[in-house]
Formats: sequence, C-alpha cells, structure tokens
Amino acid sequence: MKLKVAVVGISLILLFLAAGLALQEETIKIGFFAPLTGFAAADGMSALRGAQIAVDFINEAGGINGKKIELIYYDDACKADEAAAIARKLIERDKVVIGISGSYSTPTRAAAAIFQEAGVPMISAYAIHPSIILTGELIFRVGLGAPVEGIAGAVLAVEKLGAQRIAILTMDNDFGVALSEWFKRKIEEINSKRVEAGMAAKQVEIVYEKRYPLGETEFRELLTAIKAKEPELIWATAYFHEAANIVSQARELGIEVPIIGQEGYDSPKFIELGGPATEGTIIVTDLNRDSDREIVRRFLEEYEKRTGIPADMVGASAFDAVQVAAYAIKVGGTEAEAIAEAINGIKDFEEAVTGPFYYFKDREAVRPVEIQIVKGGEFHYFMTFTDPEVITPPAL
Amino acid sequence: MTLGYALTIGVFIGIFTILTVSLNILTGYARQVSLGHAAFFGIGAYSSAILAVKCGLSFWAALPITIVITALVGVFLGLPSLRVSHDFLVLSTIGLNFIVVAIFNYFPFFGGSMGIIDIPMPRLLGRPLSNLEYFILTLSLVFLTVLTSYYLSKTWGRLAMEAMGEDEVAAKSMGINVPKFKIYAFAISSAYAGIAGSLWAHYVGSVFPHNFSFDRSVAILSMLVFGGMGTIRGAVFGAVLLRLIPEFFRFVENYRMLIYGGLLVLMIMFQPMGLLGKGSFIWNGIESLLSRLRSRGMRAVE
Amino acid sequence: MLIWQNLVYALVLGSTYALMVIGLTMIYGILKILHIAHAGIYTLGAYVGLFILLHLSDNFWVALPLAMLASGLAGVLIYRGMYYYMLTKPRIIPLISSIGLFIALQELYRLVAGPYQKAFPAKFSFLSIKTEYLIVTSKQMLIIVLTAVFLLALYFIINRTKLGLGWQACSQDIEMAGAMGVNVNRVVALNFFIGSALAGAAGVLMALYRNSVYPTMGAVVAYKAFVVVVLGGFGSVTGGVVAGLLLALVETMLGSLEWFEFPRDAIAFLVLIFTLMFRPKGLFGR
Repeated sequence: MKLKVAVVGISLILLFLAAGLALQEETIKIGFFAPLTGFAAADGMSALRGAQIAVDFINEAGGINGKKIELIYYDDACKADEAAAIARKLIERDKVVIGISGSYSTPTRAAAAIFQEAGVPMISAYAIHPSIILTGELIFRVGLGAPVEGIAGAVLAVEKLGAQRIAILTMDNDFGVALSEWFKRKIEEINSKRVEAGMAAKQVEIVYEKRYPLGETEFRELLTAIKAKEPELIWATAYFHEAANIVSQARELGIEVPIIGQEGYDSPKFIELGGPATEGTIIVTDLNRDSDREIVRRFLEEYEKRTGIPADMVGASAFDAVQVAAYAIKVGGTEAEAIAEAINGIKDFEEAVTGPFYYFKDREAVRPVEIQIVKGGEFHYFMTFTDPEVITPPAL
Repeated sequence: MTLGYALTIGVFIGIFTILTVSLNILTGYARQVSLGHAAFFGIGAYSSAILAVKCGLSFWAALPITIVITALVGVFLGLPSLRVSHDFLVLSTIGLNFIVVAIFNYFPFFGGSMGIIDIPMPRLLGRPLSNLEYFILTLSLVFLTVLTSYYLSKTWGRLAMEAMGEDEVAAKSMGINVPKFKIYAFAISSAYAGIAGSLWAHYVGSVFPHNFSFDRSVAILSMLVFGGMGTIRGAVFGAVLLRLIPEFFRFVENYRMLIYGGLLVLMIMFQPMGLLGKGSFIWNGIESLLSRLRSRGMRAVE
Repeated sequence: MLIWQNLVYALVLGSTYALMVIGLTMIYGILKILHIAHAGIYTLGAYVGLFILLHLSDNFWVALPLAMLASGLAGVLIYRGMYYYMLTKPRIIPLISSIGLFIALQELYRLVAGPYQKAFPAKFSFLSIKTEYLIVTSKQMLIIVLTAVFLLALYFIINRTKLGLGWQACSQDIEMAGAMGVNVNRVVALNFFIGSALAGAAGVLMALYRNSVYPTMGAVVAYKAFVVVVLGGFGSVTGGVVAGLLLALVETMLGSLEWFEFPRDAIAFLVLIFTLMFRPKGLFGR
C-alpha cells in the first residue's frame, strides 16, 4: 500500500516537473564570465552589471525575435584555468549560443581556445591582447586591442601633446607588455618618418624604460630615477590599483609632466584610490562620458542608478558585447557560422556605447578611440581619434 | 553527475592524495614541516610540461626525468635543513614556494603569467588516454605512493625518521645518520610531489604559476593535518574528504580557504593527530570496534 | 641627491618592517613560537583604522591609537585563546595553528569587507620637507618620526622598567624567570599587546601611505617580516630593526636601477634562503 502511494506521488511530481519544463519559456542563452572575486573584482563586477543592463534593455524591448535572452555567468577570479573550465561548462553543460568574456587578457585567451575548438563564437568585451582574436574565426573583440590603443597613445603623446622625451613604465604581464610594445612601435615609425622628412632633431627619445610586476605598490625609487631623467611625459601601463599608486606617488615626488594611462585606468576606483593626484591624468580608452549619443546617456544613467557609482569602460564594453551578440543572433540565428558572418557584416553600428562601430576588420571592431582626462574627480572628454590611420587595427 | 565528471573528480582526488601522502613522509614521519610542497608540485608540473611542449617528449619518457629533477631540487632544498631545524625550515619552505612561483612568473622560458598551454594527453598504443584510463593511471600512481610510504614506515628508515623527528640529539646518539635520512625524506617526498605535478599538467593541459602558490601548500598541509598527520590512512582520508566536499556543496567554493585555515587551527587545537590519526577520537572508536569484532569472532570460533 | 632621496624611501619602508619585526621577535624570544598570524594583525589595524575613519572621526590621530588598541587586544586574545594551550606541545602545533589563523583572518576580511581595495581617507597634517634636492612628504615624515618614537619608547620599556626586565628574564630562560617570581603570564600577555599594537600601527601607516586597504595587504609584509627576523637573528630586537632597515635599503636601491626588473618581493626570499644557508644565526643572533 505504501509503495503504491509512493509511486503515484512520484509520478505526479514528475508530471509537474515535466509540465513546468515544457511551459518554461525557451530562452536564448548567452554565456558570460568575469572576475567577480580577487584583485580584479571591481572590473569584473562592472562588466557583469554592464552586460546585465544590456540584457535587460533587450528583453524589455521584446528580446530577440520574441525570445528572451538569459545571461549565464560565472566567476573566473581572473585565472586562466578557471576561465577554461568555465568555458567548457558554458559550452557543454549550459549549451550557450555565444560566449562573452568580461575578463582580462590572460583568462580570455585561455577561454577563447576552448570556444574556438568547440565551434562556439566568443566575443571579448575589453581584453586587449592581439592573440585573442588570432585564436580563430569565431573569436571577436569589441573593445580596443593593444595595437590600436598603443598606437593612439603614441600619436597622442608625440603629435598632440608634443612630447619628445618620454619615460615608459610597463606592467609586466601580457596586458601591460602588449600596450607598451605597440606604443614603442608607433614611436619608431614616427621617428623614421621624421628622419625621412629631414627633421631628425625632432625625434622622440625614450629616456627611461622599466618593467614592474603586477601588484606592485611602491614606485617611489623608480619614479625618482625617472624624475632625474627629466621626461616630458610618462607612459605607464597599469591596472587601476597600480595606476593609482603610480600617479599619486609621482605627484608627491613633484613630477608634474603629463601621465598617459590606458583602459586599465578607466575605473572610478582609480580616482578613489589615487585621490586628488589623479587630476589631469590622460587615458586612452573607448568610453566618452561626455558623449551626447542617446545610447551612451541611457547606459550611463541606468548604470549609475543601479550601482550608485559612475560607469566605466569595462561596464560599457560588456554592454556593447551583449548588444553585438544580440544583433548577430537576431540577424543570423543561432548557428555559429551565421553569427560570425553577421558580426563580420556589421556596418555603422550605433547601438554601442563605446561606438559607433564602423565595421569589423579581422574580427575586431573599428571605431573611435576616446581620450579622456580626469577633471574635478571625474573622467571627461579630451579628444577623439577617428583618423583611419590611428584607429584601424594593423595587420598582425 | 555523469561518469565522466565523476572520473574527473577522481583524478583530482588521486593527485591530491599523492600530494598528501608524500607530504606526510616529510612532515608526518620526518617531522620536517614544509609549507612549500606546492613548489615541488609545480616543479614537477612545469618540468613535465616543458619536456612535453618544448622537447616533444611523451608523458612516459618525461616522467622519469621529471622525477629526477624534482628529487634533485628536493635534495638541494633539504641541504639547508641540515643546518637549521623546525622554525627556520618552515620559513625556508615558504620562501622557496614564493621564489619558485616568482621564477615561473618572471622568466619567459616558463611562459610567464601566460603559463604553458597545449600540453597533450598522454598516449598509449597510438591514441590518447581516455578519461577512464587516466583515472586508472592516477590510481596506480596513488597505489605506488602509498606502497612506498608503507614500506618506509615499516622499515627502519621510518623509525629513524620518527626518532629524528622527535629528538634529533637522541637519534644521533643512537647512531642514526640524521642528515642522510633528512635528505632521503626530502628526496622521496619531492619526487612524489613531482609525479603528482606531472599528472596534473597532462590532465589539465596547462600550467600557470598561480596553480602552485603558497595557498596550495596550505591546502595540502590542511588535508594532511585534517586527516591525520603521520599516518597514510589520514593522508588519504584528508585528501579525499576535502576534495569531495566542495563538489557536493557548491557554495563552499567561496569559503574554501577560510575553511582550510579554520580547519588547521581547530584540528591542531583539538585533534592534532587528525581525524584518523593515532589516538584520535574517531580512530580510537574504530580500533575499539575492530577489537570487539575480533573478540566476538574468536568467541564464535570457540 | 638620488641617494638621499632613496634613503628616505628605505627609511619609510624599513620602519614598517621594524614595527612588524618587534612583535615577532619579542614573541619568538619568549615563547619560541613563529607567530605568522602577526600579519593578520597588521591588516586588522588597517581595517579598524578605516572603520574608525569612516564611522567615527576622520582625524588620523583618533584612528591610529584606537586601531593600535584594537590590534593589541586582538594579539592578547590570540595568545590567551590559542597559544596558551600549546605552550608545552611540540612546536609544530602552534606553528600550524598560526598559519591556519592567518589564512582564516585574511579570508574573513575579504568576506566581511569585500575583495576590493579601499581608500584610506585620513585627515592629518605633519611637518614635511620640500627642497629642490630632497622631498620628504608629511606622510613619510610621520612614519619615520612615529617609528622612532615607538622604538625609543620600547627601548625605555625593555631596559628601564620592571616589565622589560621581566621580558629579558623570560627570553633567557622562561622557567627560571617564573621560578624567580616573574609573573610570566602577564609578561607574555603584555608582550603580545605591545607587539600587536605596533603591528596594527604599521598597518595603519601603510594604509595611509599607499591610500589603500585590502584583505591580502598583510601577506607580503608578513613573509618579509620573517625574513627580517631571520636576518636579524631570532630573538634580537635590535638586530631585527637593523635588519629591517637593511632589507629596505637593498630593496630600494635595487628597485631604483633601471635594469633590475626581478620582482622586489622575491629579493627578500632570496636573502632568506642565503641567510639560512650561510649564516643561520643571522647578523646579530646569539
């Protein structure tokens, strides 16, 4: 008797479950990973929020062809092996249609290999390393790549700010090294052009160059050595914590020349930790807080409403990655090849906060490079690069 | 829970069992506290990785070389231990861990922060090992480690190590060649950690400096202390339990290191011999149960 | 010029090491325990200081003493709650316990305060020097002067007070000292209090200097502090302080060289290994 009751009971439960599953709306699954714990947590959380805002905007507007998007996300703690494991999980267990990396270069590279091999497209929101998109035909990047960022930085430093004596501080990981490498390459190119044009005296000199390990907090002796070399400008690659220390310690030492940072500086944490010393720091990034484009204002407002702090490049890039992914799925469906084709075919995509995306070259978004400056404790517009010579990713 | 996933967990449990059993030889038997065991794990993993990726050696060919390299480094590190004891040694092992990780991170030869990737699965009979076969391989190596440890514990080497661990002066006065056994302990312990490293590298397919950080050393010691320092059963139990629990309680992930730290403190305070160590609450219970069963068995025979 | 400037940095860095080393050395001197959890107190001091700044008063001179008090008490708590029961056990026991506690503390900070770095908004003013050849900021001056004051106070306590006498007696022979009527328990507790308060101070000062507080800020300082203890010779406070300054000097000088790109934290460990191999008694050890 007890057995019969049990069997009936279990069957009923199973029926309910089955019904529930059947009635459950089918969603379009987009995979996402970012460092939600660890030293990069501030960026990871920002990326996650940016992505979630995009998902909500899209779903509110009816989703993709009537279906809602579901963002399935995991924490990679900024570790490559975690990211690789997550990639496998997203592909095999969660069966996502496309993956988005809201993480740094090292984990993104690892995950990209997994996605490419499994035949699932992946978009890197802001990781800059060149090798990421070289992984394969299904890997894309919406954020700035190291070459363009480095080149733009060089043009900014030398041609716009007129510096001829430059000190370089490089963070010793794939992010920092790639940026400085392309910065230097462009400077060499500018120098050769100047020599050819008979302006050899106007060549740019790198008066100091040194690498420092990720996580370093003490730069004073290094900066004192730099000060002695009397540079006109300092190019320092860093994440926000190192950047805050570099900038505040430099100002403390009495170094008054411009310090040029990159997207690693693009975080309210940089300003919070660096304090008033951050005034005047110029960065190469892709988010223009002062833009009057509607999508930018909508995003910035929503982000600040949800979090209470101003948005940053990382959040904006993650937002854009979801936008591009959604567009590609709308246009191409859920097949990998079709999604890839759709992304490659993008022209003048206005729905990107860090855009507009003019087109995709070699699977990288080509769009304006924003130069922002810290004024009054906030990032503001300084200038924009739209010159194709600067913003087009070079052949690798 | 698919079979594939279960086998994966099994492989990792096996790797960590080898690590705890090998640490036990050094820290449990010879009482040389090491907080740098992850360094040997890492040296083994990186050696195997480099031999495979840069020299094209197969897993099987690389294994003996890896063992030699790791054992040599172990010996080299054991040398300072001859002149210092306990406290100083712990610091050296911590320092070693940091230096080794810094070297992996800094020199491009080791891949830097990008590590070494694309380490191939070992091949047998012309094709890569399946998950099940790899599990069997791991299990065999666990068995080998346990056997070696058991042998050591039964021969006079172990007595010497224990005596030396308890009181070096007394041991020396009994004619035990203390330095020789310290070095043995380091060599064997490191070699097995190296084997574990090799297994890791070829299974995960990549090695990164942070895989072998100080946190890892703490985790391994935690497992040993938790299970029962000085006993093989303790080492195995500690590794198995502490690797298995996070699988069933996913939320535990965020608290993992807190638990390891807390366990170390609590175990050391209340059950320093570990859960299954000599004289522990549980082990005493098991022993008395066994003896009761035995006497019952004997009475049944009567 | 550069030398003097770098000397200033070395002094500041060395001060942190010195403050940490004192506690470690004093505790090791008496109990022969490697108090690794000391670094957890360093971080605790910083977090308590931050808490006070955010919720009580943004005056540095309020935050510092309160943070030191909290740290001192925490140290005593660790002694009475943990080490006290391990004094007669083999030394591996308190050692492992200390490591476990340190790890647990770090994780607690992360879980409670979050993994992000937080700014340290203290208001204070102090002397500073700003000439063309040498700049000593008020923060740097503060750290150097405060450390000097603490060291002097400590010297006074150890050599001129009963407590100090008791400590010296205990560190030479704890059983004898007890037999001679020294209240060992009190000496040890006060020992922990002072050492931990200084560690907390170091944490606050560094939080101020770098304008950031984060859960793992104690880790590297912890290990370096131990290198300094070894270098100075276990049990010698003077030795520890000198060794701390020396290590800071080496780090700073090497760091200022353009061609030296090896991580400076690894320098400390190389020093450690070499010291243990070639001069395990340290520079001033007995």
